[in-house]
Amino acid sequence: MTILRGARRSAAALTALALAASVGVTACGGGGGGSGDGTFTVGHSEPDHLVPGNTTSSYSFDVLSGLFENLMGLSKDGKPVPLAAESVKSDDQKVWTVKIRAGQKFHNGEPVTAASFADAWSNAAYGPNAYEANDYFSHIKGYDELNPEDEKAKPKTDKLSGLKVVDDTTLEVTLNEPFNQFPQLLTYPAFAPMPKAAYKDLKAYEDAPIGNGPYRISGKWERNKQIKLVPFSGYTGTRKPKNKGVVWKSYASADTIYTDLRAGRVDVQQTIPAAKVPEAKRLLGDRFLPRKMGTIDYLGFPMWDKRFASADLRRAFSMAIDRNGINKAVYNGDYIVADSLLPAIIAGHRPNTCGQACTYNPAEAKRLFDKAGGFKGTLELYFSNAQPTYAQWMTIVANSLKQNLGIADIQFRTVPAADYFGMLSRREEKGPYRQNWEADYPSAQNYLQNMWGSEGNKMGWETAKENKEFDALIAKGNAARDEQEAIKFYNQAEDLAIREMPQIPLWTWAGQGGRSDKVDNVTITPYAGGLLVHEVTVK
Amino acid sequence: MWRYVLRRLLQAVPVFIGTTLLIYAMVFALPGDPIQALAGDKPIPESVAKTLRDRYNLDDPLLIQYGKYMLGLLQGDLGENYTGQKVSEMLAGRWPVTIQLAVTAWIFELLVGIVLGVWAGLRRGRLADTLVLGGTTLMIAVPVFVLGYTAQIVLGVQWQIFPTAGTDDGWPLSYLLPGMVLGSLGLSYVARLTRTSLAENLRADYVRTARAKGLSKARVVGRHTLRNSLIPVVTYLGVDFGALMGGAIVTEGIFNLPGIGQQVFQSIQLKEGPVVVGAVTVLVLIFLLVNLIVDLLYGVLDPRIRYE
Amino acid sequence: MKIDDADVPEPLDVPGGAPAPANGAAAAAVAEAGGDLAVGRPASLWHDAWHDLRRRWVFWWAAAVLALVAVMAAVPGLFTGIGKNENCDPNLTRLPPGGGHPFGTDLSGCDYFAHVVHGARPTLLIGVAVTLFAALIAVVFGMLAGYYGGLLDTLVARITDVFFGLPFVLGATVILVAFPGHGVGAMTLVLVLLGWTTMIRIMRAQVISVRGADYVQAARLLGASDARIMFRHILPNAIAPVIVVATLNVGNVISGEATLDFLGVGLQYPEVSWGLQLNQAQSYFVDHPHLLLFPAVFLSATVLSFLMLGDAVRDALDPKLR
Repeated sequence: MTILRGARRSAAALTALALAASVGVTACGGGGGGSGDGTFTVGHSEPDHLVPGNTTSSYSFDVLSGLFENLMGLSKDGKPVPLAAESVKSDDQKVWTVKIRAGQKFHNGEPVTAASFADAWSNAAYGPNAYEANDYFSHIKGYDELNPEDEKAKPKTDKLSGLKVVDDTTLEVTLNEPFNQFPQLLTYPAFAPMPKAAYKDLKAYEDAPIGNGPYRISGKWERNKQIKLVPFSGYTGTRKPKNKGVVWKSYASADTIYTDLRAGRVDVQQTIPAAKVPEAKRLLGDRFLPRKMGTIDYLGFPMWDKRFASADLRRAFSMAIDRNGINKAVYNGDYIVADSLLPAIIAGHRPNTCGQACTYNPAEAKRLFDKAGGFKGTLELYFSNAQPTYAQWMTIVANSLKQNLGIADIQFRTVPAADYFGMLSRREEKGPYRQNWEADYPSAQNYLQNMWGSEGNKMGWETAKENKEFDALIAKGNAARDEQEAIKFYNQAEDLAIREMPQIPLWTWAGQGGRSDKVDNVTITPYAGGLLVHEVTVK
Repeated sequence: MWRYVLRRLLQAVPVFIGTTLLIYAMVFALPGDPIQALAGDKPIPESVAKTLRDRYNLDDPLLIQYGKYMLGLLQGDLGENYTGQKVSEMLAGRWPVTIQLAVTAWIFELLVGIVLGVWAGLRRGRLADTLVLGGTTLMIAVPVFVLGYTAQIVLGVQWQIFPTAGTDDGWPLSYLLPGMVLGSLGLSYVARLTRTSLAENLRADYVRTARAKGLSKARVVGRHTLRNSLIPVVTYLGVDFGALMGGAIVTEGIFNLPGIGQQVFQSIQLKEGPVVVGAVTVLVLIFLLVNLIVDLLYGVLDPRIRYE
Repeated sequence: MKIDDADVPEPLDVPGGAPAPANGAAAAAVAEAGGDLAVGRPASLWHDAWHDLRRRWVFWWAAAVLALVAVMAAVPGLFTGIGKNENCDPNLTRLPPGGGHPFGTDLSGCDYFAHVVHGARPTLLIGVAVTLFAALIAVVFGMLAGYYGGLLDTLVARITDVFFGLPFVLGATVILVAFPGHGVGAMTLVLVLLGWTTMIRIMRAQVISVRGADYVQAARLLGASDARIMFRHILPNAIAPVIVVATLNVGNVISGEATLDFLGVGLQYPEVSWGLQLNQAQSYFVDHPHLLLFPAVFLSATVLSFLMLGDAVRDALDPKLR
């Protein structure tokens, strides 16, 4: 359905928001298409919020990455590099000392200090504010006091006790547990600083956010229409703009963006709808921009349900699914079938970790299935209605399970995107379900701990003794002194999760963008920041 | 006359309350968590969800929620969605698109429908009649999405007569093709109504009298029959205009027109109750109003009907 | 709201020449027509109608198409040896017609001919079941409201107004989106819930116009019970327009069901339906037109046949236009 197709965007995590984006694309055609003033236009869905801590939408991140500069950023190969920070260091992985580069200013002239960060983070972590990214601050000491168990209770304080402003350029951060991926976490857009001017009226602030990034907002957020960013002359960092500005134009449907890209009304589209990709490859030639991505789809099992208790049965399911066939039928063969729990762009990914268990083999699948005692009753398959492709590949999965394992009675359960994760967290699913993960920051820990850790997504595995082992390995990794050692432990944890297979890895997404011939040097990264706006040159 | 209007308005009140309550109950009482929808594919911490639910009264009993909503409505406030946007503002940007589409479709069905209907009615039982009858039945039978996509491929993509999608070419160009697709069903009804009504009137006594007086056929048809025959057609056109104003989910979807229909459909998927109820409330109001106007118009056109 | 088009039942053109609009006017016109034709020779109406129908080629054409579709729905095995969702290979996705696949293959690599054949059953079943149930509600409550009048009548009329004002696709979407499993039963329920209003209005108006007739008065004077009057005297004379509208309605319901499937809120796996096939075809119709063509032709032919059948029955039952 065309309307729903609007949902097919880069961010797996945010498909529903694509639906949410209510857009007046109405004849506001002007301004777009690099109208000779050195600016360019990018089409995307309407952001939900522009206060950094109050959004997890990638469409908000698109804009925030220009407006704000975090302490750390990511290099093109996904390594954390200092941006607003001079250094982020720790001896024990628990207490971190952040040195902030001196002389930085917000767009209103206010200096960027340690307090700019501390206040913004406390504001985001403060429970009663109900910010969307609230959870990301849970590593920091004092988070629990700001988010009391009893939801009616008002927290006694509104400051994170783990944040200590030593002086204007030094911030000391104390975490709950040792966590060596903290510099990575700092790249997440919610960790941006905010000026004092923001707190007077956050609603007004959101209409015209004042940040410390390479771009400042020109005018106001024109809701459902566009957000215009122009270079900030006081910017002193490494991301100096090579263009005269960018217009983020809001659309309801990715199809329309694509139509406008072809017509030259849009200069960059980050994700072309899958069904249009064959045509786009033909028409755009070298202006078609494929990229790797970190979003990976899984098929999870309700582990508390005895019918799925056997690891052999779960492996049988995995081996009965023709990943390559699905990739060809649904995704034009552009996705990468999964050979591990981690996507290839993440440090710590080992090719073919999953081996036989992720390889299509109907005969062996049937053997394992029979050995495990088969499956009785109705097999219900759960997924959300956020994207039409979910039902498409689930149909092929269902056909394969029917044909290869002989499960006769298979039913779909299409759950509204609005209720899907609520349903999973209430454990109302009675059969295999679609699950996915898109990296908040490129780290094996981000995938493993959130997907299979006992605190992460509660799929019923958290009570198993294997899950205790898993947690212990992740904790060892988090506390490790260097990256190599950390990855060693993460990989051991991954092996454990593959052996038990509470979730079957399916495939890694592929990003397929495009540009007009008016712009060049367009790089779209697989990370939260997405498009590197400052690098784009306009002809 | 005024007593009739008053009575109809009074009757409309319970219908209005009933319909809005029904849609309100359907949107809010059914399972699904709108707060979770905000977060998309990632779970939201329970404490955050709880705060947001309080903010939007989501934990109140249904009737209380509805009452609060109606109180706001009486003050002209349609409420806001869960990201804090005003529903009235969200809808405001969409009405122009819907109105332009509706007007295009309406003009199309009015002009082409009446012409076809008169043509067929005057040649009852002959080839023209059969063609119009068959053609219109076919148009009613083919689902609008098949019609829409076919028109889009053939007329838009292959022959490039019309823009394929979007509103960038403005009115009327961008709205011609979707308007024709949307109006095709109404066109069929209008043509068939005109035909039947005209054929029937042509057999009426007054026509026979007029012909007997020696008036030309053209004059009889033009002056007398057509006017009388169009009474039911005008009624239909009136009601249909109300329906067209409601937006057309499928047509708007196929042609990427950001109108009311698309908005409401998206909002249902997201369980954005305030938006759904807000839009439907406006629609029901329009529907009731148009119905009243049409009934009154009926009385004006047909002197046999008097409203007491 | 307009559903675009696969609209809630709306009589093609109502006997008597009035449109289907707003209030009373149309229904009254229908009633008038029905009343006229009933008076005088109630016994021979149906016989005459059948006699008339037999002479119409339109009727036979429609009946033949519907018979074929009905056989497809009842015994798909006659047409294809492949079961629902069987023998599919995603590596053979979207093959054009030819070779071992007369209609090509679909997105999942299933034989499209087999699946188009299997699509007949839910489509037809829902169309007929919804119309039957909706007609039943309309006849029973329309009869009671029209016969007894008073508070009951007002109540029924207002409830009808409420449901009538409810936009069909939106109403159905709201209900269906909330429930994860929608099969044929759920779809039927939703479509019935939203689809009885037009018929009840016609029925009620019919009953009101007939209940004052001489033969009803006579029966009452002879001491017949209300139930007997309603069943023996009013029903046979009031039901003709309802039957006409019901026949037309089957086509409309099928269209409506396909629209919901198309929007992605209707039937789902393991059901196979033409609406679902069209839903899947939409993303690929430019490069693979066969995905759109086959289900569209079958769906349109079926709806068309019901409409033509309804037209023919109406003409047969309505002597005015003969």
